[in-house]
Amino acid sequence: METVAVIFGGRSAEHDVSIVTALSSIIKPLELTRKYKVEAVYVAKDGAWYWDEKLKDISLFSSGHIKDFITKSHPASVEFNGGMTLVKSSGLAGRKTSRKIDVVFPAMHGTYGEDGALMGLLDMAGIPYVGCGVSAAAVAMDKLLAKQIAMANDLSITKFLAFSKSEVEREPQKAIKEVSQGLRYPLFIKPTHLGSSIGISRVQNETELRNGLEVALHYDDRIIVEEAVSNLIEVTLPVMGNDRPVPALLEKPLTKPEDFFDFETKYMGQGKGGKKTGGKRGSQGYSEVPAKLPGDLYERAEKLGLGVYAALGCSGIARVDMLIDSQSGVVYFNEVNPLPGSLYAHNWRAAGYSNVELVEKLIGYAKDRFKERQSLATTFSTNFLQQF
Amino acid sequence: MKLKIKKMGDALGIFYKPRFIITLVYMLQNTEYEVGPYLKWFWRTQNFNNVMIRRKLDRTKVAKQLILGLYLGVAVQILAGLWLIYAGLWQNLAGGVYFGLALIFSYPVVWAHLVVVQLELGRILLINPKQKSLIARSEKIFKDHKGYRVAIAGSYGKTSMKELLLTVLSEGKKVAATPANKNVPVSHAEFAASLEGDEDILLIEYGEGKPGDVEKFVKNTHPTHGVITGLAPAHLDHYKTLEAAGKDIFSLARSVDAKHVFVNGESVAARPFIRKAYQTYTEQGALGWKVDDVKINIDGIRFVIKKGKKTLTLKSQLLGRHQIGPLTLAAALGHELGLSDEQIVAGINRTAPFEHRMQPYQLSGGWVIDDTYNGNIEGIRAGTKLLQELNAKRKVYVTPGLVDQGPETKDVHSKMGELIAASGADVVVLMKNSVTKYIEEGLKKSGYSGELRIETNPLEFYNNLGEFVAAGDIAMLQNDWPDNYA
Repeated sequence: METVAVIFGGRSAEHDVSIVTALSSIIKPLELTRKYKVEAVYVAKDGAWYWDEKLKDISLFSSGHIKDFITKSHPASVEFNGGMTLVKSSGLAGRKTSRKIDVVFPAMHGTYGEDGALMGLLDMAGIPYVGCGVSAAAVAMDKLLAKQIAMANDLSITKFLAFSKSEVEREPQKAIKEVSQGLRYPLFIKPTHLGSSIGISRVQNETELRNGLEVALHYDDRIIVEEAVSNLIEVTLPVMGNDRPVPALLEKPLTKPEDFFDFETKYMGQGKGGKKTGGKRGSQGYSEVPAKLPGDLYERAEKLGLGVYAALGCSGIARVDMLIDSQSGVVYFNEVNPLPGSLYAHNWRAAGYSNVELVEKLIGYAKDRFKERQSLATTFSTNFLQQF
Repeated sequence: MKLKIKKMGDALGIFYKPRFIITLVYMLQNTEYEVGPYLKWFWRTQNFNNVMIRRKLDRTKVAKQLILGLYLGVAVQILAGLWLIYAGLWQNLAGGVYFGLALIFSYPVVWAHLVVVQLELGRILLINPKQKSLIARSEKIFKDHKGYRVAIAGSYGKTSMKELLLTVLSEGKKVAATPANKNVPVSHAEFAASLEGDEDILLIEYGEGKPGDVEKFVKNTHPTHGVITGLAPAHLDHYKTLEAAGKDIFSLARSVDAKHVFVNGESVAARPFIRKAYQTYTEQGALGWKVDDVKINIDGIRFVIKKGKKTLTLKSQLLGRHQIGPLTLAAALGHELGLSDEQIVAGINRTAPFEHRMQPYQLSGGWVIDDTYNGNIEGIRAGTKLLQELNAKRKVYVTPGLVDQGPETKDVHSKMGELIAASGADVVVLMKNSVTKYIEEGLKKSGYSGELRIETNPLEFYNNLGEFVAAGDIAMLQNDWPDNYA
């Protein structure tokens, strides 16, 4: 039986979301396949790694007992010995327990997890892992780079400007002037690297713009300011696969155009619009799946989503967010999420993929990509050293 | 090693916990207070912690009395043990300490067996005399009742047929029926006691279990009409052969006017017992009514019945082609008994699946058909045929197999494998047990090429069924082994 390590938590603002993704949508269905031994690897907020069966229990986290667990446990370490081996001290006379890992299933959102950092480590280890590779993950998590790549591939995006922290701090008035002259209100100000809508503001005037810049620069050293789409229909498309990606269903959050997914409404509240309706389910329960769109908008949005997935070099799984101007009928690429929260399993189920099937497919894609990469030559013999 | 010792400790620890007493009564309850199956189950069990995982004890009057009796017995034994230890220590009783300790530590095993004595004594001294008198009184009530007394017998489909007739005939008549699956003499007697006397029709379900049962039911309930729902291997541990079961079930047919006997003509095993004078019902029709234009869906069945110039368009929420025969019989009987066309149509329209019997529900965007109370090969035949007829992106079939198939076990399960293969299931999930290999043989024989999954933890699988299905799926769940078989 192969061993799959599910790595979750992490040094990211989306640490808690990652725990839910791992425990609800990955570990449980993986175990139900009966094909894999699943190891839970939790990365604490301080960056220490823990590996234990107890980490599969959500109540450890929801009750706050994770703090006691961390105090009493020894962090695990990782050996890169022609692969990857988890090692931990059992506490009994320093006896060590180890487990060789066959596949890694990263379940981390945001920085150091979803942005390519973890993928780089796993590439170095030479081990198959689920989801996008280093470059696709890094680009996807950088809103500026993602937009530039989309632009280079003739994929439609909203008009935007980018600023570095130092630029804004040095000459704030210049930045504000550039925005006022180049873009039309309302605008969105976004940190380029953060996910889950953290640090994003929607601004209507210069005063709000000033505040929005300050908020975004609190979270990131690079930001983008982009024009809001009028007559907005927000849609998102989960996609999986390597060379021949498969779309799930286009999903439309049920909300008013003036609202947007901030962290509170997305994860802490009852979903987008959930607070107002008094609903009980998470954000994903307040969506229309499949989205009912007029004319050929559905097909066009799906085509754009698949185009972005390919242009950014995504593999395994990702979710492409798009914005539609319902009057002009233009579909804009907004951003890519290389590890959708809870894998967007609700959408995949609606598309006909059960939770168990989804994780099995993702493991399959990880192995296929690894096998392909193995066949590539990365070293070759030279007589270079003999010259010295 | 540490883990093994802990597991062993847990397995032994339960013997001395109050939960053990409850577990014993639960085991008795789940074997219908039959001594043989209870003792077999007791001696087969390796860890009593795992017995009561799926369900809990139903704290009936009998269960409460048994628990009380067990606690008293255990208390007496422990006190006797303590007295022996005391006598051994302070009154020089030879071996007193050892015997005392042995008495104290042996109480779980001792009372696991003495409970049988308690049960039998209760049965002989209290229950049997009370039940005998109740049954005797009911015999007169049934005999004197002015309404039609319709007895329903068969190896399968009895409860469904009874409920179906109740639903349809109640549209225009006063109908009373034995409740749920209460179908033994004492339940018949309790039913008789609850009658008001002015009912037009009584529906009495016969739950046969051993040779001579149906004959006894007939003597007590005096049926005027008989419905025989079919014959299949069931309770063969007692009947031994299908022929013996058929003989007993058809004793109902011999005791009523032959033209008032209605037999399921689709039951192959029942055919040798069917006389010309009996009326049969099939998916083609019943009592002269012809069935036409059948449409099967996950929402139910739609069909038309015609007799002479009369045509009725019927719609039922029941699932499966096998329901057409019983529905047509209900409609035809309704007509004979004077129900209007509107009443018949409304009655059939109200027929809906009963809990755990071809009951559809949505899960994770897919459809699940819960047929877990189905426990015979004819039900499997109907379920697999339904799965074959329904449109789905992916078809999943789940079963542990059947129980009480006696010497037919191997053949029945091999046949079951063939039926599953013919259903077009993309995924077959079998709960691992003693019959799994025979189903696998049947699948192999039929060249089944889909995915086969053998589940070692049925409870976990059923609890997480939502993780396995998605939109476009239809999952058919047939039968669920009771704890004493699992």
